[in-house]
Amino acid sequence: MRNSALGYINGFAITPPGRYYDKGYRELFAEVALKALEAAGNPDIKAIYVASALSELTGEQLAIGNVLRDYAGLRNIPSIRIENGDGSGGFAIMTALNHLASAGNGCMLVVGVDKPHEVISLKQNKYASYLLDSDYEAYFGATPVALAAIMAKQYMRSYEYKYEDLATWAIKMHERGAKNPYAYFKRAAKLKDVLDSELVADPLRLYDVSPFVDGAAALVLCSKPNPNDLAIGVVNYGFGASNSYFASRNDYTVLSSVVEAAKAVGPLEGFNGVVSVHDTYSIFGVLALEALGLCKRGSALRLLNEGYFDQGGRVMVNLDGGLKAVGNSMGASGVYQMVGVVMQLRGDKPFNGLNAESAMVEDMVGVDQESVVFTLRVVK
Amino acid sequence: MVDQNLSVPKYWRKIPQYYRLTAVKCRKCGRVYFPPRAACECGSREFDEYELPRRGKLIEYTVLRSVTSDFEKQRPLAFGIADLGGVRVFGQLVDCPNPDKLSEGAEVEVVFRRVKEDSDYGIIYYGFKLRPVKGCW
Repeated sequence: MRNSALGYINGFAITPPGRYYDKGYRELFAEVALKALEAAGNPDIKAIYVASALSELTGEQLAIGNVLRDYAGLRNIPSIRIENGDGSGGFAIMTALNHLASAGNGCMLVVGVDKPHEVISLKQNKYASYLLDSDYEAYFGATPVALAAIMAKQYMRSYEYKYEDLATWAIKMHERGAKNPYAYFKRAAKLKDVLDSELVADPLRLYDVSPFVDGAAALVLCSKPNPNDLAIGVVNYGFGASNSYFASRNDYTVLSSVVEAAKAVGPLEGFNGVVSVHDTYSIFGVLALEALGLCKRGSALRLLNEGYFDQGGRVMVNLDGGLKAVGNSMGASGVYQMVGVVMQLRGDKPFNGLNAESAMVEDMVGVDQESVVFTLRVVK
Repeated sequence: MVDQNLSVPKYWRKIPQYYRLTAVKCRKCGRVYFPPRAACECGSREFDEYELPRRGKLIEYTVLRSVTSDFEKQRPLAFGIADLGGVRVFGQLVDCPNPDKLSEGAEVEVVFRRVKEDSDYGIIYYGFKLRPVKGCW
């Protein structure tokens, strides 16, 4: 079993997501990078993978690696910045695992860091629109939420759901966030709160949209587990892509890139454990569950409402509150997801008593552009 | 110097698509792509230009209320996906003060409109938009 993982998570750290007007990219990076390295026993690091979607847009910084490394006092370690929109985190982890495989041994540091709150919301929306096709979608004013809204409408019509059914996603995520000290939204929400919130792109309301947050999360990935700690390994990963021009996809009720990524990981039907899905919008969380093969198409919202994905079940989804409650830290979001499931597998507070041994993480770029799915396991 | 936010050449080279919906049609299998692509799914890389029909049917729509900095004055924005002769196109819906009156399958036509401008001194950007033929009010 010991050699069955692609890499082991020997150290991790996260900053509580928020609006850090008093900290920049370098401060947030150093905070989590140094804590994660310390937790892993300060091993030698072969490379630093920095996942960031906005470093030049809001941080006005290209070639950010050296600035971050120098501030954190990490000398002579090559840094590689990975930009793949709000999926940067997952793609940085994937790349670090590949590096680990080619190196054969050693450790990699993966840090997701982004600061959307350096700019006002109109600018944040503009930068979010860069996740779409710049020439043919964003040019006309489209943003990801507009396309997510079209998917939500089609899904609700195809499977005869009411908006109240979809509102359950936000309610459940807020409920989980209320118990998670690392959540951005720590307040429970009632159906009335969701229904009374403003329309963003109908049928999606403010409560369907994950809030932009500044944040940083770090992982130390190693070829061998730390002998003094619980061994948690990334067992496998799979990649998938969909058409880049949204309108050209024939079916707007499926996340094709997630379907492809899940296929590449292997059969997931019998999976039991904890799952983290990239719910930038409520509908993406719902559709991800179907795309991962955890339930039949059209059934996820019904099962969610029946409590099938709650704590104590066979498949426990977004126990940290997902992007909806933890926040959307763009390039860092995938690393937050990974740290979230590692804490759940370890049974760290507030996730004690879960006794989960397997986990799955789904990280998606934009509106079903590209996805990567990871499976993790407690290795005994 | 006035800071220019949007790029002129980035816009200029897309004029055939923005103004005339110029797609490409594969010489080998006849498949039409909008936006144009360099390679067909059949493997061919030889295309002819092909203008999409100017009328079609609405597949789905939404109204976006939280817009980007370029569209602040145009809030809210209605968007639709239209089927134009078998090719699906994404665009803004215009002349539609009451989108609730729209329905799936409504007939739409392609019209030429102003899209946005680069502050007070930059160029004005144009492009196609989709107009419900029977209106929506």
